Amino acid sequence: MMTSLCSRRKFLGAMGATAGVWLARPSMFLARPAPAGRVAVAMCPDYGPQVVTTMAAMFDQLGGLEGLVRGKTVAIKLNLTGGPFDRLGYIPAGMTHWVHPEVVGATVHLLGQAGAHRIRLLESPWSTAEPLEEFMLKANWEPRDFLSAAPRVEFENTNYLGSGKKYSRFMVPGGGLMFKGYDLNHSYEDCDVFVSLAKLKEHVTAGVTLTMKNCFGMTPCTIYGDGSPEDEPGRVPMGGRGPFHTGNRLPSKSAPPLVDRSGSKEEGYRVPRVVADLVAARPVHLGIIDGIHTMTKCEGPWVPGCHHVNPGLLIAGRNCVSTDAVGMALMGFDPMADRGTPPFETRDSTLRLAEQLGVGTRDLRQIEVVGTPISKGRFDFRRA
Amino acid sequence: MNLDPKWVPMKWPCGPLEWARRNKTKGVGAELKETLEAWAQPAALDLLKGTPVNCLVVEWAEGAPEDSAQQQALKPLLEAGRRLGISFVGKVAAGEGVATVVASARAAGLAAVMLAEPSGPSFDLPVISQFPRDKVAWKSATQIFSSMDNEWPGVKLDTMQGDTAIAGPTGVPWVNSNAWFSLLSDELARGKTRWLDFDPPGESSVAHPANYALAVADSQAYGSRWIISLDDHLRTALLKANPQATAVWSKTCETVAFFESHREWEQFQSQGILAVISDFLGDNGSLGGEVLNLLNRRQVQFRVMERSKALATPTPGLKAILWLDKDAPAADQLGKLLAFVRQGGLVIAAAYWGPSGVTPTNKDPSLDYKIYNIGQGQIAVSEEGFQDPYQVAMDAHLLVSSRNDFVRLYNPEATNCHCSFDPVHKRRLVQILNYSSSAASFVTLWVNIRARSARLWSPRARDSHSIPGLPAAPGTDFNLPTIPVNCALEVEGLNL
Repeated sequence: MMTSLCSRRKFLGAMGATAGVWLARPSMFLARPAPAGRVAVAMCPDYGPQVVTTMAAMFDQLGGLEGLVRGKTVAIKLNLTGGPFDRLGYIPAGMTHWVHPEVVGATVHLLGQAGAHRIRLLESPWSTAEPLEEFMLKANWEPRDFLSAAPRVEFENTNYLGSGKKYSRFMVPGGGLMFKGYDLNHSYEDCDVFVSLAKLKEHVTAGVTLTMKNCFGMTPCTIYGDGSPEDEPGRVPMGGRGPFHTGNRLPSKSAPPLVDRSGSKEEGYRVPRVVADLVAARPVHLGIIDGIHTMTKCEGPWVPGCHHVNPGLLIAGRNCVSTDAVGMALMGFDPMADRGTPPFETRDSTLRLAEQLGVGTRDLRQIEVVGTPISKGRFDFRRA
Repeated sequence: MNLDPKWVPMKWPCGPLEWARRNKTKGVGAELKETLEAWAQPAALDLLKGTPVNCLVVEWAEGAPEDSAQQQALKPLLEAGRRLGISFVGKVAAGEGVATVVASARAAGLAAVMLAEPSGPSFDLPVISQFPRDKVAWKSATQIFSSMDNEWPGVKLDTMQGDTAIAGPTGVPWVNSNAWFSLLSDELARGKTRWLDFDPPGESSVAHPANYALAVADSQAYGSRWIISLDDHLRTALLKANPQATAVWSKTCETVAFFESHREWEQFQSQGILAVISDFLGDNGSLGGEVLNLLNRRQVQFRVMERSKALATPTPGLKAILWLDKDAPAADQLGKLLAFVRQGGLVIAAAYWGPSGVTPTNKDPSLDYKIYNIGQGQIAVSEEGFQDPYQVAMDAHLLVSSRNDFVRLYNPEATNCHCSFDPVHKRRLVQILNYSSSAASFVTLWVNIRARSARLWSPRARDSHSIPGLPAAPGTDFNLPTIPVNCALEVEGLNL
């Protein structure tokens, strides 16, 4: 099923080496051109058995998963924003603002089939330290489905210390745009491969929610939450991420300090920078976007005026900036757009900022799109 | 004459005693004085025509100089009321000469007196005992008894005190409700009728202070009765036939009539996946009450069990037991609890009293509990004991697991629900209450079973109608129409 222009080994080797340089030699990356990645696009009209086969074909198009995950611990950051009881009208969350459980199940299954040693499902559910399985159950998901999809599947709520002994520190190569680094749950360090599994949707603050913005939810609200203690991390997460959004207060002092001294309290300035920092500090090895069913206008049903749509799209790529660029193009946006242009009318482009940090390119001319061409799969979110 | 459990009570403040009492505290303006006088007149009873209200609670004596004038002033009202089939209950303050006062009430044709002193001499007139909510003498309570100090139900708006948030950290609206007390009373005073005594807030601390329909529903959905109590402004406006006031009154009566037409629901058994066991006495009562309140707010489906009676009969559907008291269970109950655990149940306790030699584990870092695996089940023991009711309720909710939920509400906003079950006809009833001043929309009720449809009952519609069940994985979703205050679903096609 490979349709690549370069060999699989060469492709994966290049990606691994690039990631290593970012972490090991942060000062060098700014001088390098942002890496490009191949991005697979597929039409998948609905959820069901075809999700697994479609995704399997997409991963093959990317060079296969085996070389990436065999014998490795894979962490998957899910996109489960908001509370478990939130619905857009009567529609379950997986059909609108959450990644659908069948896409999660298919991903876990295919990673397991490719030889992943351990798969950890991660999310920082809204303002709670409850186990991630409990959060899923409240949304009427069945965590056992994921446990049976592959060997050694684990869950972790990363909104607090969790099962770790201490937080893991991720410094942003080059010094960071908003903070010098970020303290995260151990699961983001205790993995060999990191996957961001996101929904194809717009975002009121960041313009788009794709694989990069999904990583905003890695940050524990015990440190970065509205109710986190001043000095040390709290025991349980309290509230949302006001310290990031509006700078209404600083994170707990135990975390790496602020570097942006502009004093801007504007969310559209702050949030994209935090996101770009995060994906630079904690590189994404595989980005997957569920655009089969989703919603327009915003990231969740709490924003008025949004509605359910069915673009019937799946997107996957090895570089998160490139993957999001293709995602934006499929949504009818120009990935080269920046503040003032949709979807970034009142906000900075996370893609541009991440590109500047050397994470990847958003220039479609440099991105190899395999599978469904963008022109064929485009679903205009602003006209839907 | 006996106390009639079918009485639908309403406070009827009027007359000199009421006027004197109010004058002592905040003064009575001319308009209110006029209202208090007018409500003592027989013509005021026109308000009750066509309504289910059939019992009026009036001030009778409080050891004040105005007692006699009050009793005289009420005579025409009592006579007119009796002709309309209305019963009267006279409130009598404790003190010397109660026997004389009760005799006067009997002579005046009152059906009963309401006394604040639970114990005392017996009278030849039925007595309704009245207690502060935290001091109810459950065993000596009369067949109808009343509790004071209840909450006006609704969403609490003032969720901040200075810098301290008094709302839950999950952002769940802070809802005032008497539901927990009704469920507790149902267990501790089984078979007795509860009248909840609470008045509309003088100054609004709730989202919709005039939502009398919710005050009715929050009481009756959980098997209690609210002694209907209208605020002075509303009563004055009703006298003037103000259309807005009339609409409020109509809606209140509509909700009362709704529950009257479904009296059989009062016989249904509360359904719970968690049994909360305590003697509910002293400190145990304080902790227990708050834990019940918080469990209800978290929408945990629980049953209350009084310690001495707990587990005497089979409890189908029960997944977990919260043993609230510090005391270990007595030998016979210990056997039953351990049998429950060995068969796969979970017991949550403040101390370990299970078999010796079991090494505890703790695999969940978010919970400070030692888990003792015994047979198919577990005993979860809090490492710090039960100190903070909020923590106890939150931990219990997690330990029980949402996997065991009977029902859930999606887009709940400020709604809550109560599950009950008719064991004779195998009917499951879910009553849904909206505590917000705004109608609840796009609420989905999920039930844990496959059901093709459900009968939806609401106060606005005289008859029920069927709504389809949508298969969920697992269970069934019912997409509910807009809920102004309350509705009920009777789930059909069950495999219980």
